[in-house]
Amino acid sequence: MEDGTRKSGDLWSGVALAALGLYIIIQAGQWEYLGPEGPGAGFFPLWYGVAILALSVLLVVSHLKRGSARGDATDWNKLGRALSTWLALAVSVALFKPLGFVISFALLTYCIVAVMYRRPLATAALTAVASAAGFYLVFDRALGVPLPVGVLGF
Amino acid sequence: MKSASRLIALVALLCAPLSFAQGFKPARTVDLVVHTGPGGGSDVLARAIAIMVEKEKLLPVRLQVINKPGGNGAVAAAHLAEKRGDQNTLGLFTGVWLQTPLVSAEAKVTLRDLTPIARLVLEPAVIAVKADSPYKTLAEFIGAARKNPGQLKQSGGSNTSRDNVVRQLLQKSTGTRWAFISFPGGGERIAALLGGHVDIMVIEPEEAGEHIRAGNMRVLAQVSERRLAKFPEIPTLKEAGFDVPVVPQVRGVVAPPGIPKENVEFWQDFFRRLTRTQSWRKYIEDNQFEDGYQNAADLAKFYEEFTDRMREILKDAGVKTVR
Amino acid sequence: MEILAGLFHGFAVALEPANLFWCFVGVLLGTVVGILPGLGPPATIAMLLPLTFNMNPAGAIIMLAGIYYGAKYGGSTTSILMNVPGESASVVTCLDGYQMAKKGRAGPALGIAAIASFVAGTVGVLGLMLVAPPIAKFALSFSSPEYFALMSLGLALVVLLAGRSIVKALLAALVGLWIASVGTDLFSSTSRFTFGRMELLSGIDFVVVAIGVFALAEVMVNMEAREETQLLPVPKGLKNLLPTMQDLKDCRFAFLNGSVIGFLVGALPGGGSTIASFLSYGLEKAVSPRREQFGTGVIEGVAAPEGANNSETGGALVPLLTLGIPGSGTTAILLAALVLWGFKPGPLFIPEHPALFWGLVASMYIGNVMLLILNLPLVPLFAQVLRMPVYVLYPLILGVSMVGVYSVSGSLFDLLLLLAFGLLGYLMRKLDYPSAPLILGLALGAGMERALRQSLMMSEGKLSILVARPISAVMLSLAVLVLLIPMFGKLNAWRLRALEQD
Repeated sequence: MEDGTRKSGDLWSGVALAALGLYIIIQAGQWEYLGPEGPGAGFFPLWYGVAILALSVLLVVSHLKRGSARGDATDWNKLGRALSTWLALAVSVALFKPLGFVISFALLTYCIVAVMYRRPLATAALTAVASAAGFYLVFDRALGVPLPVGVLGF
Repeated sequence: MKSASRLIALVALLCAPLSFAQGFKPARTVDLVVHTGPGGGSDVLARAIAIMVEKEKLLPVRLQVINKPGGNGAVAAAHLAEKRGDQNTLGLFTGVWLQTPLVSAEAKVTLRDLTPIARLVLEPAVIAVKADSPYKTLAEFIGAARKNPGQLKQSGGSNTSRDNVVRQLLQKSTGTRWAFISFPGGGERIAALLGGHVDIMVIEPEEAGEHIRAGNMRVLAQVSERRLAKFPEIPTLKEAGFDVPVVPQVRGVVAPPGIPKENVEFWQDFFRRLTRTQSWRKYIEDNQFEDGYQNAADLAKFYEEFTDRMREILKDAGVKTVR
Repeated sequence: MEILAGLFHGFAVALEPANLFWCFVGVLLGTVVGILPGLGPPATIAMLLPLTFNMNPAGAIIMLAGIYYGAKYGGSTTSILMNVPGESASVVTCLDGYQMAKKGRAGPALGIAAIASFVAGTVGVLGLMLVAPPIAKFALSFSSPEYFALMSLGLALVVLLAGRSIVKALLAALVGLWIASVGTDLFSSTSRFTFGRMELLSGIDFVVVAIGVFALAEVMVNMEAREETQLLPVPKGLKNLLPTMQDLKDCRFAFLNGSVIGFLVGALPGGGSTIASFLSYGLEKAVSPRREQFGTGVIEGVAAPEGANNSETGGALVPLLTLGIPGSGTTAILLAALVLWGFKPGPLFIPEHPALFWGLVASMYIGNVMLLILNLPLVPLFAQVLRMPVYVLYPLILGVSMVGVYSVSGSLFDLLLLLAFGLLGYLMRKLDYPSAPLILGLALGAGMERALRQSLMMSEGKLSILVARPISAVMLSLAVLVLLIPMFGKLNAWRLRALEQD
């Protein structure tokens, strides 16, 4: 099969998906496959679990056959920046319970502007406050859409 | 059973002045938690209650509906359990709150973990077939099912829904069986019946109303204790000769655990007064519900009976119960 | 002809100043609601219901319906500008719409979305007016085997969304099927893949996955580069801010495609706007002369699904108003509203309340015109959003995503899911797994499994029911054909190579 998308990641994603497929099959085995009234809860999962396992094995095998000579080297810098953004987002979500949306979002924006984009701190602070206030006014006040509230009440 | 609850109500009435004397009154907006999103069954009822409370000036404060959907009612129940001791939160429960913990291990909060306040309504149902169906009575359907076991079909909700409960009880008492096909929405169930893909269904009387009037559906029997006002000629299950218990679909009120006894008395009394108002009576009549008011103590007893019976029914149906 | 008489009567009702006002309020509110991800027509309509008690019913239903179809217009805005699906039906618009925005063609994309929505929305109302009763009957004849065939056809379209690696696309679709299974099984009440979490008992919300995999992943990918070279290009000049004549010509078939498919799928109680937009997109891609470019910013790829999700509203009103059967969440609330005001939709609704029905139909024509007039001038305005510096825009997208998800169920757990799917979406991008098949699998998975099990229960275990019925047999054959299209391509290439070697 002619695939133009071979990457070294194929091996790992293939293995991970094969593991998923196996997990699904094992779980499906614990549920009823075919009951007296019709197919049970395990029917569909078994089939797509098998399909996932088969296709991911195919992926791994075809990758191994062609060798991993091609493919870009992973740019760890890029990956790092993207994952740090994700981490910042995760932290801000974790802060929703104590601090509420408005403050956490302001902090997140500040971090992104100041750290990720290396803008002057004043710009970062201004953007952070303006955005957070904007969200509060538009969603909470004008539209009545609930935002996560922290111990401070907003 | 009726006279006992009347007696308890009388005693509660006599005690009411005493509980008022102890003076619990809600001081801020009361939250009424429902397990559906906006527009779902509980949500509509809760909003109607909020409107009635304002109209009849039954409370010095507002009632506010809080939606906590998810987990088949488990999220709302857990939310209430978390609010231990909170005096300004109530929950509007339905049968789902009682059933989900029975079959799902993840749903850890049962009604026993919460404070029962009052039972409000019972929702009866009717058993309907397509208008051009060959069955004119429930007995005819059962007879056909006996001759062709497993070939007739009923459309309904999940296998723990009231639709299936009625089916299980009838199957057991008559020794017949027919298939149960689950559909996630009421619209699809009705479409399956009207399209001729299933033979029978259990349906709320309100939903069936228009289809009957248009001549597309025929009602064979009612699942209720007494005949409904809008269906005077349709026999109840018992009258039709089927001695099965009427397992009702219920709605009622609960509160978080750990609230003082005087609060419970205040709320149960409040809801009793609500169910006696004109607006409530009209609402019940319009929606073809049955008044099922029970105070907190009776509700607690009802809960135990209901879950025991459901456990038995589910076991007969081959559904695994986890509690 | 009584239809003309009814329509005339309807316009008389709809053109009353009060009703015109409510129509405008409804469509305006609908557009705003549609633009915001997460918040949808069902919640808005439910919240406005108490306010409608004191209105006259005609005005009230006109307004609520305006919110319903107005939201479909607005849904494409964030999809195109930010890759954030405004509601589940707008997911498909993200595929080509956002790519067009990245190429500087956000204006034409937004414009064609508005125009397609207008054309298809009007066709949908026409359908409601002219062929409602026979369509309703057709819809009733659809049973579980037909739904299974329809879903299979939809899922078979995954091969058209595959991009370069079919294996990866299939894997993504299968993972989508898996995510769709999370929750309580309807038939047996067994908990599947809930990992002991009660929040997962009711399954994973489609919007959460879509926003995570599309929007969050996109932001993460864009954060990779240190420099802000990717300030999204916004062309100058009014000419480039609206679709050109050539664009309109390219979309001729898309307008037809979206209108018809949306209406038909909407009329099925088990259908929905997500399926309608996927099918319409797939069909458009299958017949388009530049099908390989789909997914890179092809304008028909925006017109078809946007049209479909608008004519779907007209279609969904067919079973509601002719049979009293609600097809989707929004129509269920509209049903509740009508019942609350004392009308009972059912087979007798139209004969007994002609003023209400025809008034509603007429107001939908007017509403669609209003929406076109409202939305087109806003296009250049919205396109300016992309002028924002990226350091403002990306946090904004993150914030909008979080608020959107939170507004669906108010649960912090859903935000955690959003994070998880954002990470998944990013990994998929890096490893070249296409995300559209995942979304497709998620959208169709639950319905497909249910339809299959219902069919087997109805036939007492005989698979033949799926091919014994004519409609489902036809659709299943189409599905198989679609699956074989790439095979034909490869066979042809192989054959040509073999010939060359001679």
